Amino acid sequence: MNFGQFVSYIAQGTIYTVGVTLISLPAGLVIGTVLALLYVYGGKTAARMLNLYSSIFRGIPPVVLLFILFFAVSKGINLSAFWAGSLSLGVVSSAYQMEIVRGALLSVSGDQLMAARAVGLSQLQSIRYVVIPQAIRLAIPPWSNEAAIIIKDSSLVYALGVPEILRRAQLIGASSHKYLPAYISAAVIYFLLVYITTHLLTLLEKKLAIPSNP
Amino acid sequence: MRKHFLLVVALVLAAAMLVGCTSESSSLLTKIQENKKVIVGTSADYPPYEYLDEAGNKTGFDIDLMAEIAKRMGVEIEWVDMPFDSLVAAVSSGKLDMSISCFNYDEERDKTVDFSEAYYTTEDAFVVGSAFTGTITVPEDVANFKVGVQSGTVQDGWLTDNLVTPGLLPEANLSRYERVDQAALDLANGRIEVLMADYVPVQALVAQNPDLKVVFHAELSTGPINIVLPDGDVELKAEIDRVIKELQAEGFIDQLAVKYFSE
Repeated sequence: MNFGQFVSYIAQGTIYTVGVTLISLPAGLVIGTVLALLYVYGGKTAARMLNLYSSIFRGIPPVVLLFILFFAVSKGINLSAFWAGSLSLGVVSSAYQMEIVRGALLSVSGDQLMAARAVGLSQLQSIRYVVIPQAIRLAIPPWSNEAAIIIKDSSLVYALGVPEILRRAQLIGASSHKYLPAYISAAVIYFLLVYITTHLLTLLEKKLAIPSNP
Repeated sequence: MRKHFLLVVALVLAAAMLVGCTSESSSLLTKIQENKKVIVGTSADYPPYEYLDEAGNKTGFDIDLMAEIAKRMGVEIEWVDMPFDSLVAAVSSGKLDMSISCFNYDEERDKTVDFSEAYYTTEDAFVVGSAFTGTITVPEDVANFKVGVQSGTVQDGWLTDNLVTPGLLPEANLSRYERVDQAALDLANGRIEVLMADYVPVQALVAQNPDLKVVFHAELSTGPINIVLPDGDVELKAEIDRVIKELQAEGFIDQLAVKYFSE
């Protein structure tokens, strides 16, 4: 096996890494955003329950949740390793993303909400047209951090046998006794994925920035 | 925080109960024969038992053996690769029909899965680096050194039961690795002094790495290796055992051993 084939074998795992990320990150964003809105504007009971939700899923290591979902819960339902992994990561990420969005929502001062209500906007309209546009901008930098974490955490699905980058590096490294080249190849691929993603998000951040806002 | 902890415990228990509720009664053998397909798990990072060839396909002693077993049963194999640690859980939770990955019989494993007839017998080996100056005349001598082992293997069990639990080997001097090649790397780097592993794959490791050498080998923790089967499935076990005995009688397994182990 020449060097090209060696690297290409590992790089073929990228499709699974990207796949897991593309499911868990948006799933976490949608769930996290809805929950954050409920947390901030949904009253005390909702806030208390969501605080518990956040504590639980930020408290369980993703790989433990992954094992529970794959080996225990999905015994009846036939959930594939890929989906069990993507969903567990999505749920864990939703807790983190809820905190990101919540922080962003709270950073927009309450005075603005009052002012919006005073000029005749409804509560929903005030959130939709005054708070959210500002909060989105504030959420991008921490969200870019979360995206980088999810890309790297997606390697955890290797424990269930999904042939992603890390598992492929292990297999080819062990079979050919060339461990160092295998892990360095994996590291370079992960680095490129994270670099490209965070770079694109920085561009988005710049594009969305409000010019008058220093 | 205590409240949260209890909730987590409750969650895990609920998950465990779900497992208890869904045990099937009929034999997997019927399902395998009807679908003409058997789902077999292996951890293809353990040459020469299971590894990848130049083209990236699974190959090795276990792989060839399983292919022949499936052929004689008249079914196709669907291979699933999984880290070694996950295989037993995957068989006992029904994700895999069976697993072949150089499994030794082990009492702990026997509680959740069954074992086929043995298809081969292995030995344990102690490997050291070229700078090693100590002596190992009886296996218990390794307690005087920093030892490495693959976690969850029978060697891990042997070291834990015979050296760590009686207090001969301090827990801190036993390093457990996810895979045996990681332990070999640390041995070459001098982080551990002795590596305990299965003799056959160790010979391949030593052949690749001239700095390492085997100083002792014997049947300690190892011995017969078996296919891991779902717990209590008598019909499936009977069929697999029948084929294994047939292959042993014909000398097929001996030929495989020559092909993979005598290089």
